[in-house]
Amino acid sequence: MMADVLNDYAQRIYQVCPDLKKPTIDNGILNLNVPADQWVDVAQTLKTDSGCPFEQLSDLCVVDYLTYGAVEWDTQTRTAEGFSRAVTPLTRAQQMPSPSTSRFQVVVHLLSLKRNVRLRVHVDALGDEPPQVPSVTSVWPAANWYEREAYDLFGVVFEGHPDLRRLLTDYGFIGHPFRKDFPLVGHVELTYDASQGRCVYQPCELDLRVTVPRVIRKPIMPMDTEESDHG
Amino acid sequence: MGIDYLKQHGFMLTSVEALANWARSSSMWPMSFGTACCAVEMMHAGSSRYDLDQFGVLFRPSPRQSDVIIVAGTVCNKLAPALRRVYDQMPEPRWVISMGSCANGGGYYHYAYSVLRGCDRIIPVDVYVPGCPPTAEALLYGFLQLQNKVRYQHVLKREAPRGKDVHDG
Repeated sequence: MMADVLNDYAQRIYQVCPDLKKPTIDNGILNLNVPADQWVDVAQTLKTDSGCPFEQLSDLCVVDYLTYGAVEWDTQTRTAEGFSRAVTPLTRAQQMPSPSTSRFQVVVHLLSLKRNVRLRVHVDALGDEPPQVPSVTSVWPAANWYEREAYDLFGVVFEGHPDLRRLLTDYGFIGHPFRKDFPLVGHVELTYDASQGRCVYQPCELDLRVTVPRVIRKPIMPMDTEESDHG
Repeated sequence: MGIDYLKQHGFMLTSVEALANWARSSSMWPMSFGTACCAVEMMHAGSSRYDLDQFGVLFRPSPRQSDVIIVAGTVCNKLAPALRRVYDQMPEPRWVISMGSCANGGGYYHYAYSVLRGCDRIIPVDVYVPGCPPTAEALLYGFLQLQNKVRYQHVLKREAPRGKDVHDG
């Protein structure tokens, strides 16, 4: 029954935004793909639609598809030991499975307070560096800090944002840490320099490593079939 | 010597150092610097069950009134200059208790890009309290250890004070 209700709303959204594909229903939520150049107009329409107004922007985030489909943790061996294993990070060639798709996608979660319906909007970020998406702060003021955070962590530039500064990372931080090609340990680390009387950044000396948590699988490989299941 | 001697003669003999160290170690006022879950255990140590007040430990909201700073929790890179500034504002003599894995050496966030890998990169630490988070008893024990350390410091005798800022060279 819920699917029928969602179908009705999908039809409604399709009516008010005829240029777009009809929203799909995945995992019980409406999904809508919007091209970046139509995003602000579509957002205004979605917000002000009399039938199903999405008054509230409850979340805005970014997905980095750089390593999509390539699994660093995928190993062919299993361990019975309680220690994690380090694997070599993916090379650049192994990343970015298909260059035709855009690397970053902005995902926005909308809520209709009137209808109690949620909508997930996907906007592909155009442009190589920096990737760009129009800002919807003029439609939902709540998007302001979300977009700042997304810019900070992913480097997606929101055109038309009134104050696109970093939100979370340190003042003067270089890079965008949530990008898949940003090393986890970072590029710099902080110490106090008594001669200068202030905290200074130095190059980070830690080695980058990818650890795989302890995994004890049931026998799935041919070589494993002789062994009993240790649970 | 003891309380009987005091009652009998009306005076006691001690050294200035012992008196000063007794006074210092018996009234260690910590600057509250709780940044994460360790701060909750610090509050437990301060409240009625463990009652740090009985050791003369009274939490102060200002570095100007504090003798010791408890770094209770994760210190981000962005917070590190503020931590150093608070430490610099404390009057000497001053001590530092590093509480929990994160403050001791980064702990769970050691390999993170945004977290300080131990608050001893910023300020000199006297006592490290291990744990994630340490129990209130552990912090209490850390305080007792620090009191022991303070009691064995030399007030008048000229020498490099223990717990000297390693960063000062």
